[in-house]
Amino acid sequence: MADVKALQAERTQIFHDVHDNKIPKRVPVNLSLPLEPLAGYGGIDLVEAQWDVSKCEPALDKLCRNFYSDICPGGTSLRYPGYYTPLESQSFVMGSNGTFQHPEVVGMLPEEYDDLIENPYNCLLEKVIPRQYKALKLDDPINMMLSFTKAVLGYNAHMAEQGVLVSKYTEKYGYYSTSRYGGGFTEAPFDFLADQLRSFKGISMDVRRMPEKVAEACEALYPITLKKGMPKVVSNYASVFIPLHMPTFMREKDFAKLWWPSFKRMVEEYASLGIHSRIFCEDNWDRYLDYLYELPTDTIMMFEYGTPKLIKEKLGKKHIITGLFPVTMLKTHSKQECVDYTKQLLDILAPGGKFIFSLDKNPISIGDVNMDTFNAVAETVRDYGVYGNAGETAGLQFNKEDYRPSPSRKLESKYYNTWEQYKESHPGVSDFGEAKLQGFEDSLFQFLMFLLL
Amino acid sequence: MLDLQALTQAVGDLDEPTVLELVKNFMATHPGGEEAQQVVTACQKGMGIVGNLFEKNEYFVGDLIFAGEILTQTIDLLRPALAGAASQKVGTIIIGTVQGDLHDIGKNIFAGMAEAASFEVVDLGIDVKPEAFVEKIKEVKPQIVGLSGVLTLSLDSMRNIVNELTNAGLRERVKVIIGGNPVSEAACQQIGADAFTTNAAEGVKICQRWVK
Repeated sequence: MADVKALQAERTQIFHDVHDNKIPKRVPVNLSLPLEPLAGYGGIDLVEAQWDVSKCEPALDKLCRNFYSDICPGGTSLRYPGYYTPLESQSFVMGSNGTFQHPEVVGMLPEEYDDLIENPYNCLLEKVIPRQYKALKLDDPINMMLSFTKAVLGYNAHMAEQGVLVSKYTEKYGYYSTSRYGGGFTEAPFDFLADQLRSFKGISMDVRRMPEKVAEACEALYPITLKKGMPKVVSNYASVFIPLHMPTFMREKDFAKLWWPSFKRMVEEYASLGIHSRIFCEDNWDRYLDYLYELPTDTIMMFEYGTPKLIKEKLGKKHIITGLFPVTMLKTHSKQECVDYTKQLLDILAPGGKFIFSLDKNPISIGDVNMDTFNAVAETVRDYGVYGNAGETAGLQFNKEDYRPSPSRKLESKYYNTWEQYKESHPGVSDFGEAKLQGFEDSLFQFLMFLLL
Repeated sequence: MLDLQALTQAVGDLDEPTVLELVKNFMATHPGGEEAQQVVTACQKGMGIVGNLFEKNEYFVGDLIFAGEILTQTIDLLRPALAGAASQKVGTIIIGTVQGDLHDIGKNIFAGMAEAASFEVVDLGIDVKPEAFVEKIKEVKPQIVGLSGVLTLSLDSMRNIVNELTNAGLRERVKVIIGGNPVSEAACQQIGADAFTTNAAEGVKICQRWVK
């Protein structure tokens, strides 16, 4: 038991060191199997596991014993059937093998831009969400209420089950707790507009046909996406996760004009509050590295593809780098080849700190990975990624005072009340109710916008 | 007759208003099928320019999608004149997003560009089972089979499909190209495909070489 606590303290220290701009004792190993491959690992039916994550417990225990990681190596998902099913989601549906996927969907028509720009939150609730979630029929309010409530209950139940499982094994095996400090999840305004409102195809048309509307829509969505990602508690060890979808599919001039400004402003506004962003640069960002450099110090940047050496040279002193080890190698290459490549990658990315080891993306099926190879990679990072200068300063120091939020629109909608607004319309309410009632207001905002992420 | 070179250039420039105006004006002259076919050819040349600029990293995927949309609109405008005109197809491709995967953006881009390059494209849709590929190949006898996927698990499905083609005695009769985010040289070899690409324009060029 003492060993487990000592191990947990060491793991916590190396992660904290990276976030505190110090060289850690060794490179943190941030590797895990999400729910789908974990179910496969345990030979559990995927659909059953998705409905009841506790079925994966023996598999997670076995994984903890047989696979090295500094974080709890499995058992999490963002996509559960307990909320997408009662809502009859068309955005998140199961493929024939049970894996949740996000097909190309259109939630907002091109002629609705003006409405979105005028009243963004109303438009999302009145038009987009009912289109993406077929059970939310505006002309059948009682059934709609029941379906929606079922989905909220489902969300809370799934997240609680997952939380219990992950905390239990985090403590049992002494992992670094990634959830202890909370965090947030959002999208860049442009990506939010593309993802479930206009679709990949739709936004590609709009960029050419009505770029000024796209720019105005990003402005309108800014306060919503900003609020969506805001963590409840600010900590140097918490972050807002922002997967970045569209930039590599765009020309630089469209990116610079339409995608980048509202995103950069968002990350800077978080930084001004002492909040770090953890961005996932999907695809290959080599041509945008100079833009990324401009983001606030200690932005955590996960890369999928790209040139590790170039990324380290351009960004390594300022930002925290992770990702880049190709998950596909775990299947297509031998154990020795993967171990050799791990060392190569560590030689490039580890020097100077500000580096956490992870794959370029999570495996989504156990068939994606040879577990023996995967574990060899993890152990190589643990044993080879050791620093001789632990405790030294790593690179540039983050100071929240360096960032100032720019003025932007506020979230204003008849569907969202601040406590002051609520009190105005309900003068009899006690201020003792604020924590609960405003908490529910914000939880519902979070859940509704999560449906569009 | 409209200025075919100007049309080709406008398609290459992704200048949608000019393309549509040229084609609408052309259709107002009540053209015959053969003339309309020349207009299609000019548009296809324009798509060739788009493909080249994509390979040179001047255009990106969003631009390919937009190009496909321009072409679709153009063909729709020309359709009344094209009826009855024999179009020459260079070959047939059966394409689909493989079993377990629902993503179709890349497949649709490739299909659009292959059609623009005068291929007959039979699109089986998403989450397509191996049996569905086998049946359709028997029916339409394509030269090429395109397997698309975004998820890494689609590589397993691709291998299953290639195995099924072998079992059905069809493997030697078709070329197989795999495309999408997870494909690689190594994956291509393991799957037993003839070619792989993560680039729709390059994929079309590979197919063109096969049917020459």
